Amino acid sequence: MGQVYTQFLGEPAVQPDFTKGPTFDPLYGFPEGRKERQMLATPEEMESAQLPLKSRDYCAHLAIQSRACRQRVWPLVYKCGHEKHAYLNCQYEDYVMRMKEYERERRLLERAKRKAAKAAQEEEEE
Amino acid sequence: MAALGRCLLKTKHLQGLGGVQVTRAAGGWNKDWKPGPYPVTPEERAAAARKYGLRLEDYEPYPDDGAGYGDYPKLPIVSAESRDPQRNWDFPEHRRDFGEPIHPDFDMYGLDRVNISGKFRFSTQDQLLSFLAVMATFLGAYYYLDDQKMHRPVLPKQYPQEGVVHYSFEPAE
Repeated sequence: MGQVYTQFLGEPAVQPDFTKGPTFDPLYGFPEGRKERQMLATPEEMESAQLPLKSRDYCAHLAIQSRACRQRVWPLVYKCGHEKHAYLNCQYEDYVMRMKEYERERRLLERAKRKAAKAAQEEEEE
Repeated sequence: MAALGRCLLKTKHLQGLGGVQVTRAAGGWNKDWKPGPYPVTPEERAAAARKYGLRLEDYEPYPDDGAGYGDYPKLPIVSAESRDPQRNWDFPEHRRDFGEPIHPDFDMYGLDRVNISGKFRFSTQDQLLSFLAVMATFLGAYYYLDDQKMHRPVLPKQYPQEGVVHYSFEPAE
């Protein structure tokens, strides 16, 4: 509800485009830099495990381990709790990163808007 | 149905065989039910009116311009559905009494078909305009709101690609 209100009625001018990635420089505003995300599963491993394309993200190595464990112990699937939770936690972290990117994008858009307003105001005063 | 019967009566079967006539029961049609010729004299009019069970002043045949029905009367078009449902009709499924003259298109104005004489609360034009207004509202809402989608406050998922670097939010070591 709050998101819908903000998006359409509250501040529609500074909403990021949710279909596209970040538009500002990813390293801007990080004095200590940012760590790069590591892809730990190779394309050959993912192909060999017949992982669905949707799952070939930065958590793919844990997906493969979880599936392998299930295949080993099935039908006693309760034994794979550790691998499953490792994978789901990785997905959770990934989602939180997406939320942070959206918020960063939104704040940068607000800042750009403020700067544009200030520049326009200074031009008027001249 | 009446037109079909007339059409069948006019076709000529087996034209090569003189004198042989083929008759079929076309929808139960009977040659005795064919209307008589257009009444010209007042006596013919009175006889035709009595034949159809109408008073002389109510009797009015269709004009004899080649598309008429002979001496068949021109009756007001009243649909079965708009007749009194509570009255004790002889034929309740047609809402008609015995001996009442039947309109040529009576099969169209039955209870399960066209109700052309019903008096409704909203006129046809009102109904059409209401329909168009509602549909215009739906289409307008769709057209103007289709681009504005609700979404969760997240950017798209990052998939590893050739030559593209993705960053996390931890400081580089």
